[in-house]
Amino acid sequence: MSSVKAQEMSTTASVAPRRTKARRHLSDRAIQNLFMWPTLALLIAFNLFPLFYSLYLSFTNYSAIARIDPVWVGFQNFRNILQDRQLWQYFATTGRYALVSVGLETLLGFGLAMLLREKFKGSGLITTLILIPMMLSPVVVGLFWKLMYNPTFGYLNYILGYTNPATAPDWLASRWGGTPVPGLALWAVVLVDVWMWSPFVMLLTLSGLNAIPEYLYEAAAIDRASPWFQFWRITLPQVAPLLLIAVLFRSIEALKSFDLVMGMTGGGPGTQTELIAVNLYRQAFLGQWQTGRASALAYIILIIVIGVSNLYIRYLNSIKGEA
Amino acid sequence: MATIELRQVEKKFGSLHAVKPMDLTINDREFVVLLGPSGCGKTTTLRMISGLETVTGGRILLNGRDVTWVHPSRRDIAFVFQFFALYPHLTSKENIIFPLLAQGTPRAEAEKRVSEVADFLRISHLMGLRPGVLSGGDQQRVALARALVRRPEAFLMDEPLGALDADFRETMRAEIKRLHIAEDATTVYVTHDQIEAMAMGDRIVVMSEAVIQQIGTPAEVYYNPANLFVARFIGSPGMNLVNGRFADGAVHLPGNNHYPVPQEWLPALQRAIGREGDVILGFRPEAAILNENGALAAEVYASDMHGAYAMLHLNLNGDQIVHARAARGIRYPIGASVRFDLAPDMVRFFDPRTEAALPWEVR
Amino acid sequence: MASFEETGPRRPVIESIRVDRISPGARTWRTIRALLSLALALIILIPIFVMLITAFKSRVDITTPPPKLIFTPTLEGFVFLLTDRAIVTAGRLAEFQERAAAGEMNLFERIAFEGGLEITGPSDYVFRLRNSLIIAGTSTIASVVLGLLSAYAFSRFNVPGKGDLLFFILSTRMLPAVVVTIPIFLMYRQLRLHDTHIGMIFLYTVFNLSFSVWLLKGFIDEIPREYEEAALVDGYTRLQAFFKIVLPQAVTGIAATTVFCLIFAWNEYAFALMLTSQRARTAPPSIATMLGSGGLEWSAIAAGSLGFLIPVVIITFALRKYLLRGVTFGAIRQ
Repeated sequence: MSSVKAQEMSTTASVAPRRTKARRHLSDRAIQNLFMWPTLALLIAFNLFPLFYSLYLSFTNYSAIARIDPVWVGFQNFRNILQDRQLWQYFATTGRYALVSVGLETLLGFGLAMLLREKFKGSGLITTLILIPMMLSPVVVGLFWKLMYNPTFGYLNYILGYTNPATAPDWLASRWGGTPVPGLALWAVVLVDVWMWSPFVMLLTLSGLNAIPEYLYEAAAIDRASPWFQFWRITLPQVAPLLLIAVLFRSIEALKSFDLVMGMTGGGPGTQTELIAVNLYRQAFLGQWQTGRASALAYIILIIVIGVSNLYIRYLNSIKGEA
Repeated sequence: MATIELRQVEKKFGSLHAVKPMDLTINDREFVVLLGPSGCGKTTTLRMISGLETVTGGRILLNGRDVTWVHPSRRDIAFVFQFFALYPHLTSKENIIFPLLAQGTPRAEAEKRVSEVADFLRISHLMGLRPGVLSGGDQQRVALARALVRRPEAFLMDEPLGALDADFRETMRAEIKRLHIAEDATTVYVTHDQIEAMAMGDRIVVMSEAVIQQIGTPAEVYYNPANLFVARFIGSPGMNLVNGRFADGAVHLPGNNHYPVPQEWLPALQRAIGREGDVILGFRPEAAILNENGALAAEVYASDMHGAYAMLHLNLNGDQIVHARAARGIRYPIGASVRFDLAPDMVRFFDPRTEAALPWEVR
Repeated sequence: MASFEETGPRRPVIESIRVDRISPGARTWRTIRALLSLALALIILIPIFVMLITAFKSRVDITTPPPKLIFTPTLEGFVFLLTDRAIVTAGRLAEFQERAAAGEMNLFERIAFEGGLEITGPSDYVFRLRNSLIIAGTSTIASVVLGLLSAYAFSRFNVPGKGDLLFFILSTRMLPAVVVTIPIFLMYRQLRLHDTHIGMIFLYTVFNLSFSVWLLKGFIDEIPREYEEAALVDGYTRLQAFFKIVLPQAVTGIAATTVFCLIFAWNEYAFALMLTSQRARTAPPSIATMLGSGGLEWSAIAAGSLGFLIPVVIITFALRKYLLRGVTFGAIRQ
C-alpha cells in the first residue's frame, strides 16, 4: 500500500476526484449530501415536525375526534396539569417504579455478569438462555405474567406454596387473603420489569467485563492483591462506563414504560399502577380524546426525561474524563 | 538472590505441546534470556516459572525449594509485563507501593523504599500521575519500579520492551541491565529480538517449536551455533548456510566451487559424513574475505551500504545467495564477478540429516 | 492448602490456567458459581416454561385450579390462533362425521370438529403475522441502510453542526411513544397514511434510525481512514472505497444493528396499537386481545407468543457473537 502517500494526503479531508477513462465521479460533497439527506429528511418529517406540531397543540384545547379546529388557550393546559394533584401522583408512581426497577435490574444484571464472566462448561448456553426474557414483546410478557399472577389458576402462588386461593395474595389486585395491600400491584409489575430487563444490564456488563485485560489480574495475583482490591480497583472502574450506559438506557425506558403495564394491569387496580405514559394514552386516545391537554402533558414528560438523561450523561462524561 | 531450576518441565494445551520436557538451571545473579520466534514456548516457560501458568509435568525449584504448585505471590518473584499491567486508577506511587503494603510492610518503610526506587529509575517526578497520562517508556519504568521495590528472589520479564518505540528500546535496554547489576538480581528475560538477547544476556536459551535449541553465552551461540536453526536465527543477517558435497577433502559447492576443508576439520567431517556425503557449509558474512585469488567464485547480486561496511549479496552460480561483508570504499557493480576466501577459524559444518553442527573440537 | 502445594493435582493439567486457580479451594468456588448460574437461569426461565406448556393445554386445564404440570397436550390453542371457525350446523353434522371416520380430515380439522366447529379459513393472526413480517423486515432494512450511509457521512466528513445533530438524533429515542403518536396520528390522518403498511414502515424506520446511526457510527469510527485514503490515492472513487473497503469491515456492526432494530420493530406494540386498526395491524396488539368465548384465550395467547418469539431467538442466537461486540462499540463511542 502506498502508505507514505496516504500520510501526505491525510491532512486533507476530501480528495479531489481524478478523471480516469472520462468517467464522471461523485464529489465528496455530493456523496455527503446523498448519504445524509434521506436520513435528515425522514427525521425532520417524523421528529421535528411532530415535535413542533405537538407543541402548538399543547397550547390549544383541540380534540382529535371533534370536528372543530383547534382553539388557542395559552398556558391553560399546562396550568391544569401542574395543578392536578392526581397527575403528580402518577409522576410519583412512575418515579418510584423507575427507581426501584432500575436499581434491582442493575444489581441483578451485574451479579449475573460477574457469575458468568469466567467460562465454564455450558456458560455460553446459559448466557443465551438468560437473554430470552429480553427478546419477548413486552405486552406479551405483561399478559403472561397476568396469567402467572392469577390467584386461582396461576403458577406463581402455586410455586410459592400459596395453594388456597382464599388466603393467597392476589398480586395484581393488591389484596392478600381478602385484605387490601396497597402498592402490591406496583411491586408485582416491578418484579416483571426486573425479570425482563436484568438480562440487558447483564449483556452490557458482560461486554465490559470481557474487555478488561487479563494481565491486570495477573499482576494482582503476583502482588498478592486481595479479591476486594481486585474488584474495587480493577473490575469496577473498568466496567463503570458501560454499566452507567446500561442504567441510563433502562432509566429512560422505565420512565416511558407503557407496553408492560398495559398488558398486565391497564393501570389498575384503581390507579396503583397508572404510570404516566399509560395516563397519557388514556387522555389522548380514550374517553375524552383531549388531544391538546395530552400534548401539554407529553411535553412535560419530555422535559423531565431530557433533564434526567442530561444529568446521567454529564455524570458519565465526568467518569470517563477520570479514566 | 536465587537459583532457578527447571526439571523436565513441560506444558500441553490440549493436544498442543507448547513446551516439550526441558531442563534448565539458572544460576544466582545470572541474566538469562529466553530467545526464539513467536510460538516457540519461551513466554509459556516464563509464565510457568512465575506461576501464571501451571505445568503439565516436571518440577520448578527456586533456591532448592519446590514451588511448582505454590501461589504466584508466594514464590518471591516479580513479573514485568509487555503491556505494563499498571493499575489504571492508581497513581504511579500507589502502583509501586502496592506490593509492599499487600505483604504487610509498615507504611513508613514502604514509602522510603518507594522513593529510593523512584530515584534510582529517575521517575520521582511522576509519582503523583496516573499511568494513563505517561509515555510508554515512563510506564515501563514505573512497572520496573513496582517489580524492583519488593527485592524479590528473581525478576521475570516478558518482552518488556516490545510495546515501546525503537529509540526508547535502546535506552531501556541499558536501564534494565543497570538495574540487574545494581540489584545483583537473578533475571529471566523473554524476547524474540536476537539483537536484544545478544546485548543483554549472560546466557541465552535459544528455543524453537517447544524445544531448547541451544544454551550458551552470546559468544557461544554466535560463533558455535549448535544447529541450523540457531545459525540462522542469531546474527543479522543470519549465518550463510550453503548445501554442498563433501568428497576428497573438499566441499563442492554450486557454481563449480570447491572449498578445501581446513585440516583441523577433516577428522570431524570424516567421522560424521564418511568418505563422501552431503554437508552444509556455514560461515558468517564477516568470515568472507574478498580476494582476487580466492578459492570461491560468485557474482554480485545486490549490495547494501551499511554505514561502516557494505553488505554484498553474492550468487554462488546456482540459486544460493550468500552475504559477505566488504569494505565500504570499493564499488561492486551488480553482475560483477568476485572471488573470496573463508577465514578458516570461522567456518562451520552441519549435518544435513540431523541439522546439528559438527563438533568443533574432536578429542 | 499445604498438601496441595506439595503434591499438586491428581491429573496433569492441559489447560491454560494459573496455579492459584487450580487449587481445590478455587475449583470449589468455580463449581459453586456454575451451579448458582444454572439455578438462576432455570428460575428465570420458569415463566418461559409456563408459556410453553400453556400453549399445549386445553382451556379447561388452564383455568381450573390448581395449575397442573402433568396434562394431556392438545393443539387447541394453535387451532384457535391460526384459524377462524364456525359451528357445524346440525344439518351438516352427519357429513362431517363421515369424513372424520374415513380419515379425510387433517389434524386441525379434527381438533376443531371435536369442539363441534369447522374451519372456515386462516385467522386474522396469520394475516397480522404477515403484516409483522413485512413491516418489521422492511423497516429494519431501511433503517440499517440509511443509518449506514449517514453514519459514514458523520464519521468521515465535517458535517456542519455534527455534535448537535448527533445529540438530536439520539434524543428522539428518549421520547415516550405516546408523545410521538399524537402528532403522528393527526399527521397520518391528514395524509391518509393511517393504518397503512407504508405509514408503519416510515415510523419504525425513523425510530430505529436514531439508534442505527449512532451504533454504526461507532463501528465506522473504528475503521482506520488510512485504508480509504490509500484507495483514493490508488485511483478509486470515494463511492468505490466505501463499498470495497468500509462495508466489508463494518459487517459486524451491521449485524449487531440489524438484530437490535429487528427486535424492536418485531416486538413493537404501542405504535401498532395506536396507529393501525385493520389493514396494517401487526401481531403484538392482536396477541394481546385474543378473546375467546370464555374470556382471554390463554392457550392461543401462549401459542402466539411462542411462535412470535422463535424467529427472534433463532436470529439472536445465530448472531450472539456480534451482539456482544455491537453493544460495546456503540456504547463507548458517545
